[in-house]
Amino acid sequence: MADEGCAALVEQFEQLVARVDGGQIKIELLERLLAKVNMLAERHGRDVQDFASTFLGVAVSGDKFLGAHVGDGVIGYLKDGDLRVISAPDNSEFTNQTTFVTSHGAAGSMRLFRGSLQGVTGFILMSDGAGDSLFNARTRQLAAACEKLIVAVGSAPARLSQNSKHKKQWRKFIDIRVRNATKDDCSIGVFGRSVAS
Amino acid sequence: MALNIGADDLVENPTPRVPVALCLDTSGSMMGDNIRELVKGVNLFYDAIDEDDDAHDAAEVSIVEFNSAVSLIQDFASIERLNRIDAIDATGGTALGEGVNLALDTLEKRKSTYSNAGVLYYQPWLVLMTDGKPNGRPDELERAVHRVTELVAQKKLTVFPIGIGADADMNVLARFSPNRLPLRLQGLSFKEFFEWLSKSVSRVSRSTPGDTVKLDLEGLAGWAEL
Repeated sequence: MADEGCAALVEQFEQLVARVDGGQIKIELLERLLAKVNMLAERHGRDVQDFASTFLGVAVSGDKFLGAHVGDGVIGYLKDGDLRVISAPDNSEFTNQTTFVTSHGAAGSMRLFRGSLQGVTGFILMSDGAGDSLFNARTRQLAAACEKLIVAVGSAPARLSQNSKHKKQWRKFIDIRVRNATKDDCSIGVFGRSVAS
Repeated sequence: MALNIGADDLVENPTPRVPVALCLDTSGSMMGDNIRELVKGVNLFYDAIDEDDDAHDAAEVSIVEFNSAVSLIQDFASIERLNRIDAIDATGGTALGEGVNLALDTLEKRKSTYSNAGVLYYQPWLVLMTDGKPNGRPDELERAVHRVTELVAQKKLTVFPIGIGADADMNVLARFSPNRLPLRLQGLSFKEFFEWLSKSVSRVSRSTPGDTVKLDLEGLAGWAEL
């Protein structure tokens, strides 16, 4: 699902970022995601609802970015030195309920966004489990750690060995600190880049 | 660059809550073994929640009693703030509608408190237990039925109507629960019921979006998933 959604954002980036019909874009993205879900369900002989999932994706190209978000989890970015939330969790009223790409009304719930990369150091995307450590549900703000994660990715060497110190530090952080702080699934995606001063 | 993240760089969100409202008949007909066993059952419920790692942090319980009048004998509180009950006096009539309305009002206030404090919560539960027929104000009963069934239809409330003994009016209880039949406690099986309830709270408190919480229904036939 993540691969399919990201592929859709990347392959059609130039077209999507220029279009004004956001509502239609949401429908098209969902149709592509649902086609993937249907194919998976058929292949495994399961119900479509068994493959219900949320989706968070951001793509960058040139001096622009775009992204889409359905369901819970958080997408944020670091711009001009400030951590900002782009898209917060959609949990309805109750914590164990959210909108999935397979839900009725998923298009209405999808958040679609785009913007200039001017001043943007990077993005962070996280599932609810990672959000337990990295997103304050009361203030709706990202934890300070998010800035460090984005900066660390942006300044990491372009080539890393399998067991580099950098990767070990990340594994330790995610596998121990983030994972142990939640009973929920943990996924996290970080995009970082160096910004010319 | 070293990934130097300290505790201050992370947030610690409060555990999402499972609010459980107990709405209990303490009318005169409950006098004797019924009320004693009910009190024992509630205390056992507290103990079971206390001993369960997940339910301990998540469950918040309130108790409304109804007889000829209604009162909130325990506002919503986590297990560490819940006082064990020594005894409850059983007396008077059965103002069931008024009791349910007070339980729902208390629940609404608690949900506002959660929202204002940024505390996430699960779908609330209402456990309604009675051994007789309602004889409070008919308009209050109708209002209570309407409120509960609306909330259930909107998936904003899970209701467990429980009849105690042979004289409980199961038809009235069924009106509160369009999706599943009310349960009649056979004999004085409060203990089993409250054990089941605490286990169910624990299961729900471990659930995440997309989970269908299957409850352990052995011995509680006819009950469906939440």
